[in-house]
Amino acid sequence: MQVILSGLAIGAVYGLIGMGFSIAFYVTRVINFAQGQLLMVAIMLTAALARGGVPALPAALIGIAGSAVTGVLVYLIAVRPVLAFNRFSFAWLVSTLGVAVVLENLAAIIWGPTSRAFPALLKNSSIHIGSAHITVQEFVGFFIAVALAAVFELTRRRTSFGRLGVAIAEDPEMASAIGANTTAFAVAAFAIAGVFAGVAGILIGPLTFANPYLGDTYGISGFVALMIGGTRRPLSAMGGGLLLGLLTQLATSAINPQAADWLPFVVVVLVLLITPEGLFSLRLHRPAALRRTQAAGVAAP
Amino acid sequence: MSVQAAPTPALSPPRPGGRAIPWRGPAGIVIALAFVWGTYAVATGSLYTQGLVLTAAVFAILALSLDLVAGTLGLYSLGHAGLFALGAYTTTLLNINHGWNVFVLLPVCILGVGAVGLGLGALSLRVSGLYFAITTFVFTLVLTVVASDFSFTGGDQGLLGPLFPAFGSALSGLGKSVAWAIGAALAATILLVISIRRSPLYSVLLAIRDAEPMAAAAGVRTSLVKIGMFGLSAALAGMAGWCFAFLGVVSPGQFNWPVSVDILVMVILGGINTTIGPIIGAAFISMFPSWVNINPLWQEVLFGSLFVATIILAPEGVAGLGRRAIARFAPSLLARPDTADALPIPARAAAPALSSDGDAVRCRGVSFSYGEGLTVVDDVDFTVRRGTIHGLIGPNGSGKSTLVNLIAGRLRPTSGTIEIDGVRVDGESAPSRARRGFTRTFQDATLVRELSARDNVAVGLYSQVPAIPVRGPVWPALPRSRATARMIRGRSRGALDYVGASDWRSARIADVPHGVEQLTQLAAAVVTGPRTLILDEPLAGLAPSEVEHVAQLLGQLRESGVSVVLIEHQPRFVFDVCDEVTVLNAGQVVATGPAAEVRANDDVRRVYLGQ
Repeated sequence: MQVILSGLAIGAVYGLIGMGFSIAFYVTRVINFAQGQLLMVAIMLTAALARGGVPALPAALIGIAGSAVTGVLVYLIAVRPVLAFNRFSFAWLVSTLGVAVVLENLAAIIWGPTSRAFPALLKNSSIHIGSAHITVQEFVGFFIAVALAAVFELTRRRTSFGRLGVAIAEDPEMASAIGANTTAFAVAAFAIAGVFAGVAGILIGPLTFANPYLGDTYGISGFVALMIGGTRRPLSAMGGGLLLGLLTQLATSAINPQAADWLPFVVVVLVLLITPEGLFSLRLHRPAALRRTQAAGVAAP
Repeated sequence: MSVQAAPTPALSPPRPGGRAIPWRGPAGIVIALAFVWGTYAVATGSLYTQGLVLTAAVFAILALSLDLVAGTLGLYSLGHAGLFALGAYTTTLLNINHGWNVFVLLPVCILGVGAVGLGLGALSLRVSGLYFAITTFVFTLVLTVVASDFSFTGGDQGLLGPLFPAFGSALSGLGKSVAWAIGAALAATILLVISIRRSPLYSVLLAIRDAEPMAAAAGVRTSLVKIGMFGLSAALAGMAGWCFAFLGVVSPGQFNWPVSVDILVMVILGGINTTIGPIIGAAFISMFPSWVNINPLWQEVLFGSLFVATIILAPEGVAGLGRRAIARFAPSLLARPDTADALPIPARAAAPALSSDGDAVRCRGVSFSYGEGLTVVDDVDFTVRRGTIHGLIGPNGSGKSTLVNLIAGRLRPTSGTIEIDGVRVDGESAPSRARRGFTRTFQDATLVRELSARDNVAVGLYSQVPAIPVRGPVWPALPRSRATARMIRGRSRGALDYVGASDWRSARIADVPHGVEQLTQLAAAVVTGPRTLILDEPLAGLAPSEVEHVAQLLGQLRESGVSVVLIEHQPRFVFDVCDEVTVLNAGQVVATGPAAEVRANDDVRRVYLGQ
């Protein structure tokens, strides 16, 4: 029970980061290697503001906004010019990692390379369910994460904004031919990815404290969540994240703490071998042509 | 078999200085001597210099090995840090714990890591380039985690690598032996890369990268070549790991995934798909910390900015910029002599068919549908008689291209049989069918834009030159390679003569007009002397005079016994040129038979003129 609770709590955070990867990938076909650093930006900014006397909640909101803005900057600086050069090259791999290195070290220069305190957003009390317990922070965090994922998925499916995003993801040329502003959607995707990373950052901040090198660790965890879940739909990454959270907790309690490091990778390798598109991409058979008409639902309602 | 060249004078290409370059040979000797002298200088130099230069040399091997797949095949491996680690840890562990001789370990690393590369390639290349990048990335992650979590690897602290055996007293004047070992490894890598780039394999690799369907149609088993090249690249990375083990401590931090990206940056910064570029990049990046001696955090910031700036401002890298400058100011330095005499296209078409009653192509009840839903080709009977030109026409979406793809092996029929020259081929892949004297062209000209017309045509000869992929890495060392290269050049030129595009043979496809591109594709298809040839809209985008020229060519091909299937949108051209015509509509045959009959057929009129 304890394993499940803690696993879901941390898994939801991994899922958020994974969804951040996935949302940016979904629209631009770019894996943003600076995604983990977006999370770090929110944590560092929030911690710095709180130290400066700003109340915790506004500080957190500004931190999240900072992540979103940074996300957009990553797109404008490191992704857009590269895609303009050649849409199918993998040069973004290098440029987004370059931005990650810059962000990480700038943060270390500005705020120092050591860990600092992170403001408590909620009282440090626990909820007991049977023999297991979970902090209010974790509990609320889990629901925020799941709610965010749900809102995103509903927006994607139900609103014309979301459907247009789907259309761009499926076929950018066609979408821009019918008048979709692909750049605006890409900017929006990176901003939303930033928000997801930022929220994830605020949720884990109390556990990890504020450290400029957090981005690496959590970026990898989010990436693993994405790989387990699959890249077909952003929501898959949340599933992957929850699974990853459960796995790491299970590995820690059943094998040893180090197993939490390597077990996820074993799972990723298995997933990649068995179903290269991720666990949650297995879908019922739908002919490609039908899927395409649905995707272009905006064009032909 | 010669033909009046059709291009109008206005379209004549710029003539590059096509003289042989006298200093090429001596320059090679000077560079080799300089390399040996440089190795000597490092071997006898200070420890600081040794550490710096030898690390750079190891990374140069890595960067060259990565460029072998990234530059020529477009496979952006993020597994090179992992493969590198595998070589270094294997050497260290087997030497320290089990006392294996370091000279035994060299082939062990090369073959072992190479085999791992083959496995990784076989697993990851089945989906897409992105999947390949991700899989290799995860591979590096896993290795790093294993190396830091398990005790036999020394955990995060790592292990102290073995010492390279010093020279005996007789050779002690040569200095540190390890410098010579690494120098030799780097030299071997450079020679291997140069061999590949000078061999016919190079054009084939670029064709796989940029024009995979064309390569497959020429008989290249593209997946196998990709996996093999990645295996070779991995073997070199393993050798780099072997070298690295002698340079001190081997620890997980030296092989984590950002190192993979560093290697990629070396390749891109120096110049992707060049010989010298990866070496420049490796030297620059690996020595960066000692050149830019500032606060390490700012150093990292600068380093990251460099990544971004390189990608955005100079995607061709230093070597690319250099080459461009030379092309601008001293183009004669780049010109390759083209002295090969044109060789005629072999008359394989005239040889007796394998089976006496064999029609060139015979499809019986062929159907094809995507998934459960759409049936694109529906129970089609289609026969091309030997030595005829057979037109295949029909409205857009009638299934012409799909039928051709079924015949050529790009798609497999859902049901029905396909015979070429009386032999059932529906179970065979496209490359196997190419070996049966069957070639095709593609609707949208698929050629390698950065190669010359001649080198593109040379790809078409793939199935007629034995073992190109195996010979490529050691090309100049093989006895018959000169003769083979001359034969390939000559036949390519002959094919370009045949289609009337030989004036453009040295021009890059990126610089030629569209008509020449179409003719080059045609040349690449006829260069093997095929028995059967499928042309998918060879007239698209051609001027009227060029259309006339192609019509003449088709006539000549038929005279020499080639059976031609012609897909075209211009019905008038088809009825004028073809002996027989088949009309498709909505995946079904509307009419088939002699051109005149089909032209008069009411159903055909209905299809074209509307109900």
